[in-house]
Amino acid sequence: MTGRKVGIIGAGAVGATAAYSLSMMGTCKEIILFDIAEGVAQGKAIDIGQSTHYAAQPTVITAAQTPADVKDCDIVVITAGVPRKGDMTRADLLLINAKIIKSVITDVMKYSPNAIIICVSNPLDVMTYVIGRITGWERRRIIGMAGALDGSRMAYQIYKKLGYGSGQTGALVIGDHGQNMIPLPQKVKVGLIPTTDVLTDEDFEDIIERTKNGGAEIVKHLGTSGYYGPGRAIAFMVEAILDDTQSVVSSSVLLEGEYGYSDVTVGVPIVLGANGIEEIIEMTLNTKTREKFKVSVESIREGIEILEENGFFDS
Amino acid sequence: MAKGKKVTVIGTGNFGSTVAFILAMNGTCHNVVLRGRNYDVTKGKALDMSQAANAARQHTIVKAAKGPEDMAESDVVVITAGAPRTPGMSRDDLLVMNADIVKMYAKEIKEYAPDAVVVVVSNPLDVMTYVALKYTGFPRERVLGMAGILDAARMAHFIYEKLEYGAGQIRATVMGGHGDTMVPLPKFTTVAGVPIDDLLDSEEIGEIVKKTRNGGAQIVNLLGDGSAYYAPAKSTTVMVDAILKDTNQIHSCAIMLKNDYGYSDIVSGVPVMIGAGGAEQVIEMTLKNLQVRKFKASVESVQEMVDTLHELKFFDDLK
Repeated sequence: MTGRKVGIIGAGAVGATAAYSLSMMGTCKEIILFDIAEGVAQGKAIDIGQSTHYAAQPTVITAAQTPADVKDCDIVVITAGVPRKGDMTRADLLLINAKIIKSVITDVMKYSPNAIIICVSNPLDVMTYVIGRITGWERRRIIGMAGALDGSRMAYQIYKKLGYGSGQTGALVIGDHGQNMIPLPQKVKVGLIPTTDVLTDEDFEDIIERTKNGGAEIVKHLGTSGYYGPGRAIAFMVEAILDDTQSVVSSSVLLEGEYGYSDVTVGVPIVLGANGIEEIIEMTLNTKTREKFKVSVESIREGIEILEENGFFDS
Repeated sequence: MAKGKKVTVIGTGNFGSTVAFILAMNGTCHNVVLRGRNYDVTKGKALDMSQAANAARQHTIVKAAKGPEDMAESDVVVITAGAPRTPGMSRDDLLVMNADIVKMYAKEIKEYAPDAVVVVVSNPLDVMTYVALKYTGFPRERVLGMAGILDAARMAHFIYEKLEYGAGQIRATVMGGHGDTMVPLPKFTTVAGVPIDDLLDSEEIGEIVKKTRNGGAQIVNLLGDGSAYYAPAKSTTVMVDAILKDTNQIHSCAIMLKNDYGYSDIVSGVPVMIGAGGAEQVIEMTLKNLQVRKFKASVESVQEMVDTLHELKFFDDLK
């Protein structure tokens, strides 16, 4: 991994913010943006490129004219997909985005065959599974970004309760990247103190609820999804891989017997490094958390099942 | 807008110099004043660091103090002065020698930088923090000792050596005095939120605790001439940053206890919230019986040294 080249497919707010965050940190040598909407990737690449004048380290930002230009990347971040609209069923959304992902991934396999893929498209866990099935690559190279964001949202909620310890709070959310996600605020610490010493059961319930609704709360105010949190979370994962930091971060990954499940992608703590998933950490879960984890896994399996029933994987 | 921040570092040995260098490299404050015994040497180091700041494209200016008056208007004063521990020497051996040095500087700070937050790193740490508090006469939140951050960093490193991942994400907890009776709390340790119990067995954790306790001595023995200063200096600047940036973050620091954890009028390491005013809040953790006993032993060992100073009439000039 000498080129430190990152491709970002989908230059919407999330993709562009990830690119901006990476540029300001100077993590990559080169970032290439691609978007199907004409001009979007070009315009943002120029804007971000000009901002790098004040960055600590230089980064080259370019826009791809065609998917073929996103070539020889060390990491490809996939943010492509459509948001759910009013009249869409869950199945509709799944099928539409799975088809988009399939077309995007076919190009990635052709032009960046050695990349590690970070999936950001929703529904996150199912799309990560789709990428795994289509590529047939080793599971270590396919990682869904979920816990990095949900964990940062949980840490934020803990800070809001305490009024201190910003940036010092552990982030630990497992399960799916949706309504059945499992924030674990009781397990983490603020600086050196366990949260259980400074928060009540009521606080924890509130933190869990607010973390789960973290995305929806922003939509309510903004009318559209958040992108600073997701953009920075993606950048954190890219840094971990390019710098081989061996950092622990919850991510959606294909289980092969861990936590008692196989052939499903779900959020668990992993060690992230140059090889992608370096290790999957199996935490001891209490009975209640195990039950919640089961619900999470089942909700993801239902999504996969919808794709199976519609013959998505047949070709 | 408020004026640029100023930090005075007393002592220009490896420890003090490295503290000043980190501050200059990070641009944490606009002015760093170095106060050393030899003005030329101090000025040489200050020039070297100011030039390094330019190479790093930072705005920090490092100057050598001609006298104590150059400490004026410091936001933070770091006291690193004192004789270092040499092989075979216990922390206690240093007691009287260093207490006199800290007393002298504390009086100067009281006179010339009466609004500063004082960070003490001279050893034996807890007692020196006690001495600095008494002789500055400052409220306890403005006189803090650096210990728990360093001890926790050492513990985190030894945990990393076992795990080989999670570097920089390991949150270890060490309380109590900065000495042989420090109280590492492995049960409170997590790696990015994952409890250490899920990652290491009790034998491995026991070994880590032992290594942490011995962390300083291990480096003293290896160096042969002097003690560690990279991790101590970085740990010190963590405190300085937290004060200057008013971060309201939680760190383990030595502070005068006032009915905290059941003790008063003695300094020990406990979690505090650090902001612009120093330790703005002491946080009480729930300790188990064994931890309570270990903390007691730690407090008592500091009390013994304070008692020794009393017996030698060290504090008599306070009256």
